[in-house]
Amino acid sequence: MSLDIYKINKEFRDIMPQDILDLEDNASWGDPNRGIHDLQEKKELIEEHSLCAGCPEAAALRYILAAFPKPEDTIVVNSTGCTSLMFPHIALHTVHSLFGNQNAVATGIKRVLDWRFPDKVKDVVVLAGDGATIDIGLDYTLQSFFRQENITTICFDNEVYANTGGQESGSTPLGQVFKMAPKGKVFEKVPMWELAVTSGCHYSAKLTVSAPKKVAKVIKEAIYIARHVGPTYVQLYTPCILEIGLDAHEGLGEMKEQDKDRFADFRFVSEDGQALLDQKKEEGLL
Amino acid sequence: MAKDSITIRMPALGGQGAVTAAHIAATAADTVGYYAISNPFFGAEKRMAPSESYTRIGVVPIYDRGEVVYPDIVMIYHPQVITMGKSYTMPFYAGIKENGLVIINSEFDLLSEADKKHLDALNVKVLTKDFTKFAVEIAGTELATNMAMLGALFGAIGTVSKPAIEEGIKDRFLKKYTASGGTATLDSVIEKKFKKKQDLIAKNLETASAAYDLVANWAKEVDLQAFLPEATGNMD
Amino acid sequence: MKTQNEETNWSGQKIVSADYMLFEAPRTKHFMTGSEVVKEAIKRCTVDASVSYPITPQSEAAHLIGELWAEGYVGTYFRGENEFGVMSEVAGCAMAGARVVTTTSGPGTLRAMENFPMWSGTRIPVQLILMARGINSPLTIQPDNLEVTFMLETGCMIWYAENVQELFDMTIAGFIVAEQPDVHVPIVTVCDGFFVSHNRESVMLPADDIALPRYDSYKAPLPPIDAEMPPGRFLRDPFVMKSNYISYATHASWQWEIRSAVARSVPYAKHYLQGLVHTTGDLDANIALVTCGTASMQAKEAQRELGKMGIKSKVVKIRSIRPFPDAELLAAVEGVEHVFVPEFNVVGWLEKEVRTSLYNKCTSTNIIGRPRVAGGMTMPAEAIIKEVLENVNKGGN
Repeated sequence: MSLDIYKINKEFRDIMPQDILDLEDNASWGDPNRGIHDLQEKKELIEEHSLCAGCPEAAALRYILAAFPKPEDTIVVNSTGCTSLMFPHIALHTVHSLFGNQNAVATGIKRVLDWRFPDKVKDVVVLAGDGATIDIGLDYTLQSFFRQENITTICFDNEVYANTGGQESGSTPLGQVFKMAPKGKVFEKVPMWELAVTSGCHYSAKLTVSAPKKVAKVIKEAIYIARHVGPTYVQLYTPCILEIGLDAHEGLGEMKEQDKDRFADFRFVSEDGQALLDQKKEEGLL
Repeated sequence: MAKDSITIRMPALGGQGAVTAAHIAATAADTVGYYAISNPFFGAEKRMAPSESYTRIGVVPIYDRGEVVYPDIVMIYHPQVITMGKSYTMPFYAGIKENGLVIINSEFDLLSEADKKHLDALNVKVLTKDFTKFAVEIAGTELATNMAMLGALFGAIGTVSKPAIEEGIKDRFLKKYTASGGTATLDSVIEKKFKKKQDLIAKNLETASAAYDLVANWAKEVDLQAFLPEATGNMD
Repeated sequence: MKTQNEETNWSGQKIVSADYMLFEAPRTKHFMTGSEVVKEAIKRCTVDASVSYPITPQSEAAHLIGELWAEGYVGTYFRGENEFGVMSEVAGCAMAGARVVTTTSGPGTLRAMENFPMWSGTRIPVQLILMARGINSPLTIQPDNLEVTFMLETGCMIWYAENVQELFDMTIAGFIVAEQPDVHVPIVTVCDGFFVSHNRESVMLPADDIALPRYDSYKAPLPPIDAEMPPGRFLRDPFVMKSNYISYATHASWQWEIRSAVARSVPYAKHYLQGLVHTTGDLDANIALVTCGTASMQAKEAQRELGKMGIKSKVVKIRSIRPFPDAELLAAVEGVEHVFVPEFNVVGWLEKEVRTSLYNKCTSTNIIGRPRVAGGMTMPAEAIIKEVLENVNKGGN
């Protein structure tokens, strides 16, 4: 039934915009092995965005949307921030609620979808910035981990409140000068990826988006574990080129530098999580 | 034909400095004794996304606020405002008043026949010129486009002098200035481009001045009517 | 009367129509508190989801809904982390297509506040049972209903139950009215904490082997977020950043639409509540006590005692605060010389509503916003009687 919601009434096909036709004719639905390789030929699930030219968040979202194992049954819950500007253009059922409540809303959605469709797979993914996930939403993020909600939480970490003009966030590194921290941040970058582990996540990853296939793999792993085991967390470095004074083409270089520094790879997988990943590998899904 | 007050709408792209231009325009007008107010209208600040700002100048106190829905003058800072619809109004000249003026920063003529017909009927004059190229030639950077546009604006208005424009530019770049977070970041970027702030100001002035002269001449050629009477002082 | 059909819900209860449940099903007498009656109401409502958080005086009602989940009547249930979290969780449940209920009081309401206009804006027919309690500072756990004034402009429907019986019937009617496709906004069912939630009194209840039909989220004005219903690209709610003008136009039109939706509830509310306003006492009296909630009860006491003194009066109980029943109130007080509005708060929000509603309409009516009690103090009938006697000549003129 889910894929039918993308089918156009044939009487209307001749007046439909091309991107809607492409969503029916050429998107990579129904194939759990979809991935980065589809970006060249298949219709992407993000149509356009109004972020700054060259913003790494836009690239990251494209990789993530290409990686969903079952996009036709994936609900993405967003929160206020730069990421919100991309959400009206995503070809899925998505939600933008209040600042910081994304994990609470996602909890309600996931539980009701499980109740209403006990025989179906429905993936619920949260995608929000560092401010939403780690500051204003910390309570709800951690509590959803405590409660063992079957949700994937993805944090687009640009280490700043970018959308409001560049204010310090909990995720800003020590000493960095941003608005509201004119003398530099006085406390360390909050290690959210570690908090995720002690709060009950079965998978926690930290990385930049310099390597698309790596990002896609991490997303698939996180979603499969959330589906069958428990909460998962992924923190992606998506630098704000505007606030750190870079040009549109310099985001990738910045991420590659951070691959060796603050955002060197971190992975945690619980025993049950690892067992699930091994099983999925055997099934040819990873 | 001069009016009590005029309204100016400046649709641009994020990062071009339209907000700055509106501020300097208001400051300059204030310096010569007009009542003036500027306000920006951005949502989230994004490079290359639509960004609009407004200036109101007059010989009477100005009470209006917010977007300029009915402009006397529309200044298009980037061709994409028209070609990609990066504008808050469609068409970009929506609401323009009779005897108004449109200044378009573009190498090519972007108006359709329907546009021209509509604007002619309102006796609105249009100036299309590649002000970005102009700015690069004089100041060496695209970021001075807004200075060229400013000079063009006042060349057309005629009653705000070059010393006043200089005051506006100095006020903006020498004093501590708070507009928005994104603007502050861009400020530090442009400061890196000039060894001293004085260089920056000198180049900006040069660009504005050259554009002023160019457009003042054009205004004579097309018989553009005065927009405002001379300023009479705004200290009451 | 026939029931709707032979279907049963997931807990084996026979599905019946709301009309049957409220007006036709045979009822038996029970003796219980408001908290317990909430359990009885929810039990008969085929509720998909509920989320709870402890705060006096609604904790009992909340945990009893939890028991319903353990007993198999409520689909999914858990305790949330705080009221802001709970109301967001409830929003998620509703967006995914559930009939959902929750409860809160006083400080909890304020903590959750950002969610209520979000609820109405996203058109989810959530039912919030609000057990009124005073707001800090200073702290009081008693039933001061000042918090209602903060809810007035959230775009939600607001009904006010007088007693345990009314709380039962309003809760059931609340789902049905809120879920109408041309209404489809949240409903706040208010009752006074302790005076209703913890008072034990007699109630008439239908059998518990019948229940309302299931909520059909596919009849909603906005698609549920379940990846089952078109359109495939759908964001709830669209974050319109392309243009400030579009943003304004969207926001403005939605805001008006929500208020219109609340107004459209009137015919349904009238039917299921059997009137938005209920008048008792001497219908031709010159003195009216306009009330809501528990104050209605005490006004009825006062009305009875005044009658013994030879003073005629009537009690005009307002059941629906949003939408405010302008026409019904006017009909009830037309020709009345003195209107008293006894309230359980210092600001007199009900008096303001009444004055606004009657402005320029009952120009010879004297409206007196007294007596008022606050902090959760009760309002003895004596206080009302005293106010009437001080303001009106004996003999009822």
